Amino acid sequence: MSSSNPGSPSATATSSSSASSFSSKAHSCIQALSSILSTVPSSVSSSSSLLHDPTVSSQISTLLRDPDSGSGDNNLCRWLYDTFHSPDPELKLVVLRFVPIIAGIYLSRIALRKSLAGFEAILLALYAHETTARDGQPISVNVPDLTQPSIYHEAKSSAKSQATELNLAVISPTLEPHGTMRSSRRARIVGVALELYYSKISQMPVSSKLEFCEFCDIWATGIQNKPSSSSSSKQKTILLPWELLQPSLRILGHCLLGAHKSKKLYEAASMATKSLYERSLRDIDAKAILATSSLLRLEKMALDPKLNVDHTEIDTSLAL
Amino acid sequence: MADDETPSQTQESSTAREFSANGTSMSTTDVEAKLDKGNIEEAESSLRERLSLNSEEARTLLGRLEYQRGNVEAALRVLDGIDLQAAIQKLQPSSQQAARLVLEGVYLKVKSLQKLGKFAEAAQDCTNILDAVGRIFPQGIPDAQVESKLQEMISKAVELLPELLKQAGKYQEAMAAYRRVLLNPWNLDNDCCGRIQKAFAVFLLHSGLEAGPPSLGAQADGAYVPKNNLEEAILLLLVLMRKIHHGDIQWDPSVLDHLMYALSLCSQTPVLSKQLEELKPGVFHRTERWNLLALCCSGVGQNKAAMNLLRKSLHINERPNDLTALLLAAKICSEDSQLAAEGVGYAQRAVDNAKGVDEHLKGVGLRMLGLCLGKQAKVSSSDFERSCLQNEALKSLDSALSFEQDNPDIIFELGAHYAEQRNLNAALRFAKKYIDITGGSVMKGWRLLALILSAQQRFAEAEVVIDAALDETGKWEQGPLLRLKAKLKVSQSRPMEAIETYRYLLALVQAQRKSFGPMKIDSQVEDDKVKEFEVWYGLAALYSSLSHWKDVEVCVKKAREMKQYSAELVHTEGFMHQERGEIQEALASYINASLLDPFYVPSKVWIGALLSKLGSNSLPVARTLLSDALRIEPTNRKAWYHLGMVHKDDGRLADAIDCLQAASMLEESDPVENFRSIL
Repeated sequence: MSSSNPGSPSATATSSSSASSFSSKAHSCIQALSSILSTVPSSVSSSSSLLHDPTVSSQISTLLRDPDSGSGDNNLCRWLYDTFHSPDPELKLVVLRFVPIIAGIYLSRIALRKSLAGFEAILLALYAHETTARDGQPISVNVPDLTQPSIYHEAKSSAKSQATELNLAVISPTLEPHGTMRSSRRARIVGVALELYYSKISQMPVSSKLEFCEFCDIWATGIQNKPSSSSSSKQKTILLPWELLQPSLRILGHCLLGAHKSKKLYEAASMATKSLYERSLRDIDAKAILATSSLLRLEKMALDPKLNVDHTEIDTSLAL
Repeated sequence: MADDETPSQTQESSTAREFSANGTSMSTTDVEAKLDKGNIEEAESSLRERLSLNSEEARTLLGRLEYQRGNVEAALRVLDGIDLQAAIQKLQPSSQQAARLVLEGVYLKVKSLQKLGKFAEAAQDCTNILDAVGRIFPQGIPDAQVESKLQEMISKAVELLPELLKQAGKYQEAMAAYRRVLLNPWNLDNDCCGRIQKAFAVFLLHSGLEAGPPSLGAQADGAYVPKNNLEEAILLLLVLMRKIHHGDIQWDPSVLDHLMYALSLCSQTPVLSKQLEELKPGVFHRTERWNLLALCCSGVGQNKAAMNLLRKSLHINERPNDLTALLLAAKICSEDSQLAAEGVGYAQRAVDNAKGVDEHLKGVGLRMLGLCLGKQAKVSSSDFERSCLQNEALKSLDSALSFEQDNPDIIFELGAHYAEQRNLNAALRFAKKYIDITGGSVMKGWRLLALILSAQQRFAEAEVVIDAALDETGKWEQGPLLRLKAKLKVSQSRPMEAIETYRYLLALVQAQRKSFGPMKIDSQVEDDKVKEFEVWYGLAALYSSLSHWKDVEVCVKKAREMKQYSAELVHTEGFMHQERGEIQEALASYINASLLDPFYVPSKVWIGALLSKLGSNSLPVARTLLSDALRIEPTNRKAWYHLGMVHKDDGRLADAIDCLQAASMLEESDPVENFRSIL
């Protein structure tokens, strides 16, 4: 991958031979979409413009939020499902862009006992994709023990006899294939979809991340904060098991402390983090309390000018 | 040079700025006037004359002046007069003085470009500086031989480069720059190196970009190389913490917070505990540190350690009303009947303190109060106290629900409490609501519903519920459901089907053990697993009810391979003896079972029952044992029945009638598995 700049439409480099076949795929994809949406601007002609065009994404978002969306025969769900199965990686990104809203609406509607087969098909497709990509293997992280030297530090006594004490932490367990959405595995399947989303988050437009923050609020406290209207409406909270909460916290960390420059996103992420913190207190979930409270403190520190002195500034002397 | 102490620094800079070089100094006023008129050349020549400078030197000073006056574009114009690129190419290792001057010029340009938002250009020039430094010092910068001003400038450039690349949106290049900067010897001081390490760790944690492991080849030389972003970030943060512990760098709370975030995501809170313990006193208030440590312990289920810390921090002389600590303490106590009474105190304090901005925590406080009271009721020694506590528990849970009407946890707990008190209609209502609200995603909800139905003697419906639950559950988590299903079949007098179910369950459990090996899945799955022991024991109990004694013996033998000292197994053997008419052996087994587990009720009941048949001398002992059994498990119908018989034999007919009535009522509301198996 070349230098990928979020917001700039040149994210993935593809070889020229496949590029033409991709562009025809994108073309037929856009054509199929134009039969679902009321308008598709003529400027939308490639998969990357599809990813970043605000009118297209806001129309799709509106349709996904429709009270009757998500059923098995829903055209848009079918389009998203088909688009994700396209070989063009950028078209996959277009589908991933809507993961926050799909996961958000889907989980909020579980208690309503409506048919959500359309949403489920998309989420299962994302899960299957990740399962194949990882070969079902868990993702783990070594937490090093500093008595052994590393590339970033020297150890005083490099006693070779001492066994290296590595703490192996599984951050995403083994993936088993799931052909249907069993309710007991629902949180895991959606959690894996969020993991996939997180892995591409630097290529996601800000609007998509804003939607994620919005649904974090709803999941955690049931309160839907509408930044535009300053009104809020009460919805139902959902269960937040760790398999769902952990990837959400990683996404939120990026939105709050990542290198993007959107003030709106900082604010939304800050609100969502606060909601999750309150929720973790209500659930008395120790790990979640530690993670969310540290994010809140970090956010505060990031805003404190006293803690953010620029050490690269040129000194004030005019002497040689 | 003592420039840093010149008074001009402390005063407002516009009035008393001074150039100084080669031992002389001059006011900037005239030069500033010339610059304001756009006469760069004149300004340059007056500097050259007064301070005996060459053109490059004069231009550098002028650039600095303009930069400080906030005229960034003018600074760039002044610097345009020097061919910095050519000067860089000509740099010689021998003259650090000349090198510094040139590089300072370039650095000034870099900062000016940054201020103008031209990040990519700035990054390119900054890279040029580092490349040039690399040429001057091909072996790295030797500490003793580098001029301090040059080192200062190099350090700044090193720190700035990755920032510029980030600002330019070149994230992959920023990753590479961080590694170049941190893995090469630039002779940075501790503070500067620490700042860069922290910035890199933050970038690794939150950029959302997977950079892949650093490729060092032979350079690694046996040292640990992290293999992904998260590992690298954690390593850097741990290295920074070590520098803090050693006093090499100042305490920086954000380092700990980043580490806390990263380690809690990995569920590695014990590593965090170690860091907290190593911090010097005074960094944190002690109660704050205790509370954080308690959260770390509780995060990995070390509840005993967590409680010890919380008791200290909630002590009356410390911070007895800290809500987070109170809630955590109450939660831990609510899971242990020995601590429940203590937990009631914490929960009550939490409720009392959930005011103002913390009003939203009133519901969880009440919930914890209810749970602790319910748990306390279980070990209560008197009937009166028990029923008081149970009522209080239900009241608390009810008012908790009024604060959080959709909270599935409270709904479930109310259902389970009502079920334990055999208020089956209320229990059923909550169990159904729980399944609705969670979309059937939590297995304990299905199990509660099936148990309640079985207590209502609606076995067929209970089986339908279990079948629905099995559909919603992955095969590895089906164990507890299958066990329940087998018991339901027994209750419906279909023992052969029950045996089939047990066989399937056994195959599942054995396959599970083989396929997972040492790699643990998540804790919920771990909790939901049925152990092979329980399957063999269940089969033994089933065969024993069918009087298939040979099969019972086989199953008991198998079960014993998994758990050598088990009250259940000894009890099963006792029952076998009893049914075969071997009363002494039966009694011996029951007594052994009671010795193995003093809280094991079925053996106590049978000892009481057998003794009562041995004649009137034994009746007082039998009565004591049966009362003891009922203290432990007030809803045990067999205990009530035999106690009733003891009363009858002793001639206390009124008491006998009460007991037998209780037994008969309980028989109509007996679940196939104790409700306690769920909570």
